[in-house]
Amino acid sequence: MYVELKDINKNYGNFEASKDINFGIEKGKLVALLGPSGSGKTTILRMIAGLETPDSGEILIDGEVVNDIPASKRGIGFVFQNYALFRYMTVWDNIAFGLKVQKADKEYIKQRVDELLTLTNLKGFEDRYPTQLSGGQRQRVAFARALAPNPHLLLLDEPFAAIDAKVRQELRSWLKEMIEQLGVTSIFVTHDQDEAIEVSDQIILTNKGRIEQIGTPLEIYQNPETAFTAGFFGKGSKLDYPQTFRRFDIPEGVDDLLVRPEFVEVTKKDEFQKYSNSVSEGTIVEAEFRGDWIELKVDVDGNVINARRAPEAEPVEVGERVNVLVYKLLVTENDKARILYNESVREPVVVI
Amino acid sequence: MHEETTGGKVVKVLLIALTFVFVFLFLVLPLVTVFKEAFSQGWAAYQRAVTDSYTLKAAGLTLEATVFAVLINTLFGLAAAWSITKFEFRGKKLLTTLIDLPVTVSPVIAGLIFLLTFGSQSILAPLLRDLNLKIVFAVPGIVLATVFVTFPFISRELIPVMEAQGTDEEEAAALMGAKGFLIFRKITFPQIKWAFLYGIVLCTARAMGEFGAVSVLSGHLRGKTNTLPLHVEILFNEFQYVPAFAVASILVILAIIILIIKSAIEQKGAKSSDVR
Repeated sequence: MYVELKDINKNYGNFEASKDINFGIEKGKLVALLGPSGSGKTTILRMIAGLETPDSGEILIDGEVVNDIPASKRGIGFVFQNYALFRYMTVWDNIAFGLKVQKADKEYIKQRVDELLTLTNLKGFEDRYPTQLSGGQRQRVAFARALAPNPHLLLLDEPFAAIDAKVRQELRSWLKEMIEQLGVTSIFVTHDQDEAIEVSDQIILTNKGRIEQIGTPLEIYQNPETAFTAGFFGKGSKLDYPQTFRRFDIPEGVDDLLVRPEFVEVTKKDEFQKYSNSVSEGTIVEAEFRGDWIELKVDVDGNVINARRAPEAEPVEVGERVNVLVYKLLVTENDKARILYNESVREPVVVI
Repeated sequence: MHEETTGGKVVKVLLIALTFVFVFLFLVLPLVTVFKEAFSQGWAAYQRAVTDSYTLKAAGLTLEATVFAVLINTLFGLAAAWSITKFEFRGKKLLTTLIDLPVTVSPVIAGLIFLLTFGSQSILAPLLRDLNLKIVFAVPGIVLATVFVTFPFISRELIPVMEAQGTDEEEAAALMGAKGFLIFRKITFPQIKWAFLYGIVLCTARAMGEFGAVSVLSGHLRGKTNTLPLHVEILFNEFQYVPAFAVASILVILAIIILIIKSAIEQKGAKSSDVR
């Protein structure tokens, strides 16, 4: 493990920001600290950086306990949420700052800054000031600045939050590629599940100061272990009257039943349905075109569930009666989550 | 702007005229009078009054007090603004309020406070006597009074600017291994430069013109503890109108110079915050 947190606790007054945090990160991985706001993800990041001190527990980087090592000596690159670029310095001076502080050789600084300008596609912008740049360019400057002193560990606090949606998508893949190419161990904080799923190798999901689950995006998505995880990922809809769905063996005493859009197949009355004996009937409440898919809300005996249909399929109308087949459900019980399959469809099939 | 929101043409003309009349009566006329009286007996008399040895001594003392006040309050202002905006601590609100005290307290009272604190009746008096320090009715008292009344000028300019900037950039620099003074020089100071200069100018203006507190502490010893404003008063009370106004004109000229510097700083500052 390259970065390790052992039994970390941190309180701000009565507020428990971190509670019994334990995890390890392998070298070279790109890890997302994911959670809703106030879940303690940024506190964890700042403790690793040395910007906050844990009340108890140990933080190890490369096998060494760093609790008493000041932030500046930990060999960490940090990208701030609003980038915190030095506004009275040019792009060039921003990137060179860390190296100048380390009193690196002048020739080396020149060469390194030049290298980073090329890497981040900022050639030609070196004499600009941060306010003369777009959001995406600023983020790239922040990234280059953090990387300049060759950190062993790169920490990014909500790196995409301050960028508009369009550019964000582009930057996500760019950043992922860049980090993979450089091989630097990286941890980024985000509240956006899509971002975490898309960018990271591993997700650490936080909630109320605790870690809910750790795993690859696919693992967490497919096998949520806790009720929180089950609800946080995907666009699950809660079932109020689950008994209406056929061929499910619903045990006694469950807390919630969730169904995600990809667990559901909606077919028109006259369309072929292989498992016609286990379908329920529902009414389309909403049908919206979303580009790659049609987002549906279907009312099945009082349960309003989200579903999707391919845009090429024959359109369904609001008010239309349709067949609804649910392949599986997410069941939560005492904060544990598990999957319940449709008896007639043992094989889980992903629609669309 | 629309007429309904501004109240029509008549109101507009009236308000502008009123402002002009007011400014003329209360600012331009008195200033013109100062120069008219100063030169009423010709250039030679003016020159004599201005180069009089007591006048030069007074000017020197004013300069000395101003330099001390600006230096001390620069240090204090930076320290206060820094601690209030960058740190969290108990009593921060109280400190912020107390800093403004010199602005709200009458300078005469400030003078009296120092008179009682450092005068011959105070509990500090024996100690001061032993150390052979004379504060009241001496130059240190004048400096002290000037420092007191100009106390908040620099910190009050700095605090809002530093509050708006936050600590992100400093944190980023510290994380890269930069030490305190380097961070101040490279990150913090460029951000507060214009506010800082503006504060110094205000502090200078106030320090040069201070009368009340200094008057109480000075003892009016000509050639020793007389500042320019005090000198003007003495001359005036002795019915030496030409010298009184001549000395006053020095203060007016200094004030105008400061006004020009001040607006230049304001413009530059506004421009630089536009671009960056």
